[in-house]
Amino acid sequence: MRYDSITEAIGGTPLVRIDPAVHGLRHIDLYAKLEMLNPFGSLKDRAAWNMTRDELAGAAERGETVVELSSGNTAKALALIAGLHGLAFKSVTNRMRIPEVKDLLLLLGAEIEELPGRSECLDPTDEDDPLTLFHRQLNLPGSAHLHTDQYFNVLNTEAHASGTGPEIIADLDGRAPDWFVACVGTAGSSTGVARALRAHDPAVRVVGLVGEKSDFIPGIRTIDEVQEVGIFDPATYDTLEPVGSDEAIEGMLTLLRRCGLLSGPTGGAAYFGAVRHLREVDAGLTERRTAVFIVCDRVESYVGYVRRRRPDLMGLPPVRNSVATLTEAEVASAAVIGVDEARKWIAERQPLVVDLRGPFAYAALHIEGSVNIVDGLFEELLRGGLPFGRSRPVLLACPVGEKSARYAALLTRMGHPDVRSLAGGIIAWRDAGAPLVRD
Amino acid sequence: MSNDPMNGGPSHSGSLSPPLYLEPRLAPRTAALLESPAFLHGLVDALGSPLNVILPDQIADNVRGFHEVFARHRLSGRIFFAHKANRSSALVRRLTTTGAALDAASLGELRHALGSGFAGAEVMATGPKDPDFLWLAARSGTLVNADGADELERAAALVRAHGLPRLRVLVRLSGFEAPGARRLSRRSRFGTPVKSLHRLLDVLDRHRGELEPVGVGYHLDTTSVEEKAAALEGCLHAMEELRLRRFQPRAIDVGGGFGVGYLAHAAQWERYTTELTRAVLGARPPLTWGGHGYGLRAENGTLRGALGLYPAHRTTAGPGYLDELLSLPAPGLGRPLGTLLLEGLYELYAEPGRALADQCGLTLGRVLEVRSSGGGESLVRLAMNAGDVSLEDHGVLVDPVLLPRAPSPPGGPVPVAVHLMGNLCLESDLITRRTVFLPRQPHPGDLLAFANTAGYCMDFGATRAQGQALARKVAVHREGADGDWQWCLDEQYWPFTRTGEAQG
Repeated sequence: MRYDSITEAIGGTPLVRIDPAVHGLRHIDLYAKLEMLNPFGSLKDRAAWNMTRDELAGAAERGETVVELSSGNTAKALALIAGLHGLAFKSVTNRMRIPEVKDLLLLLGAEIEELPGRSECLDPTDEDDPLTLFHRQLNLPGSAHLHTDQYFNVLNTEAHASGTGPEIIADLDGRAPDWFVACVGTAGSSTGVARALRAHDPAVRVVGLVGEKSDFIPGIRTIDEVQEVGIFDPATYDTLEPVGSDEAIEGMLTLLRRCGLLSGPTGGAAYFGAVRHLREVDAGLTERRTAVFIVCDRVESYVGYVRRRRPDLMGLPPVRNSVATLTEAEVASAAVIGVDEARKWIAERQPLVVDLRGPFAYAALHIEGSVNIVDGLFEELLRGGLPFGRSRPVLLACPVGEKSARYAALLTRMGHPDVRSLAGGIIAWRDAGAPLVRD
Repeated sequence: MSNDPMNGGPSHSGSLSPPLYLEPRLAPRTAALLESPAFLHGLVDALGSPLNVILPDQIADNVRGFHEVFARHRLSGRIFFAHKANRSSALVRRLTTTGAALDAASLGELRHALGSGFAGAEVMATGPKDPDFLWLAARSGTLVNADGADELERAAALVRAHGLPRLRVLVRLSGFEAPGARRLSRRSRFGTPVKSLHRLLDVLDRHRGELEPVGVGYHLDTTSVEEKAAALEGCLHAMEELRLRRFQPRAIDVGGGFGVGYLAHAAQWERYTTELTRAVLGARPPLTWGGHGYGLRAENGTLRGALGLYPAHRTTAGPGYLDELLSLPAPGLGRPLGTLLLEGLYELYAEPGRALADQCGLTLGRVLEVRSSGGGESLVRLAMNAGDVSLEDHGVLVDPVLLPRAPSPPGGPVPVAVHLMGNLCLESDLITRRTVFLPRQPHPGDLLAFANTAGYCMDFGATRAQGQALARKVAVHREGADGDWQWCLDEQYWPFTRTGEAQG
């Protein structure tokens, strides 16, 4: 395969059969359309390219900025396409809740504007939502923008009607599947694919999956949010069913661990929703049927998302020399020392004074001659053993003397003979009028 | 008789199925009070409708909830009750015993606080300040939360002119920016953009003898904890600027806006808002008077606008919200914000209004008339108006609790949909613009209890329009663990018994 531009690699994604031993459906062949294998990493590559390809030359001439309301994959694809053509890209959104995606966009050179949160004190005279204001700003005369407008742009839908849908039919040897299952975000892929499949076989059933209202699955809208999408038409779907983030992650785990598919949570939601929907009909079937769902992007960006919801999936073994392993008795027996005594001790024995606070606070004010080892780093340091010799006494200090007492207990357990914790911490030191310096 | 609208016959059920309830979240004390309808009926019979009932002991519990969050983060500092949330004397006087301080936003509030037993040093003056307000604040040793350079100049001049002691000030900042993405913020009338901090510092520098800056703060109108995290981090940097100018700042004020959860059930809220969306799109009959969309509208079958409603069901509100904010890593400095405050040796100031008044009172209205509107929903006229219980003004949707005067007739209750009308001769005087579902038909003489109105929804918008009486206000408490309810007029409440022992 030899291409002149990466955009030529968009589309032509594989359709992979899911092992029946995994999904357990007896009469239905279930296939995953691997949209994550598009060059920019997601299903949105198709829409982004289709919405821009004919506009780019003119936009470059006029020095326009590509603008889209996107929190993720569309922004990613547009940022890359814009960069490829010497254009700037700006994303405006109030939905950017995946920090890794945000960082990646910044890395790609995108400018991100986040809309403010909801008002706590409602102003009944305020008629305009931030999005309306944004659109108004965009339409000001003289503003140089190429607004791709994915929620209303028919080229979004068309990318899938002419690409994704026909590819599925071709890979199924010229037949449309009996069921098509897709998560609804911009509704572009579900609408476009459904159109292509139904044109081929009107009996295709389309299952749209939406997020549960109180929940959050990246890339999916809730049943109310889809109503804000111009290309969303409820008639496209034979059924709209909700999926929760736990279910999405459950489905994703199956794809990752049993199918070898590096799917993100949206693909997981599609798999989970597909199997849940099909399991019921499967029982009543006697002939073979086919179903297709979409794996829309890859897992890597969502590791933090999963960690927050399912920390158990990343459970690390207990570490050596951790403050978490201390007993209350050990902590209580740690040597503590009051401010006056500490000042004398410092003058006489010159212990190493370790300030466990963050560098920002340390830089502002600290005990003269102390070193700053932030608690988190100190904890990591101790995993490997004592970071200083046993002959030198050590005074540990934190804001109120609580953390330092725990570390003093740990160092004592690790064999240091003379570690003390500053009672009451830096706050007590300050309140006693003892000197604090900034260098 | 089945067609009699007063009886709410089965002919209504078509528009009712299924009723969309929004049941209020009731704390044990509020729930117990509502279990005593005879007591509440007696109060309204004696003092008239509408009637505001205050639960002063609840605010002491709420203060404790916030203090626990401070303790969890090992932070010292102060909770300032934002007085504007309620005019009650009972709440303010009860607060004097809790260790909480008070945020006064007007001369009247400051006088009320001082007259209720607060020492000047326990009060912070916020909001727009008239000369008289500023003078009494300076005179009484109140902490002045200054909106800008101009206010600092005026305060300094006043201190000098009257030979007053050095005035403690805190400066309110705005327009914070976080690293990375640019956050568009709602335009605010308050605070000084953090970019102009140097101008404030110049003013403070010039008036070292008159003004003592104790710290900085912000007050952001947003439910987004990330925006507040960016602001709090901005304050940490501003404190550093103050230090560089050889001031010794010690407090950061994170404002309020921690929110209240008004509803008992998330599922009811989710179902209601989805049905409201469908109603706006024409997919079901309207849920509001005249098809009002609460900010939503349909354009070519697509939903536009934004839902102008208070997020009435919340998983995190009040002290939990503050805890979340303090636990959040600072966007630039990385460490949790609570840790950064502690390590910087700073005190935390917070000004919750609504959250501190959570479950501290309810508003009672008597049913005057129930009539059929012809459209399946009854019109219920109450002896109160929209200003007396301004839930609607604040976008708070929550069902009132029906307190029947007489026991229910046999046959089991039949749910009804009603519109609640006020007592003003105004088309716009609707207690709620939405259709309210009640578990049974109300009758004249019944009471509707609007729970949890003490935060902004009780007397904030109350007026004597059309000569209608303002709601009387009573304070109620229980003596002993399960003792009878005791009451007194709000202005008669002091936080001790008639024999002088501490109450609550």
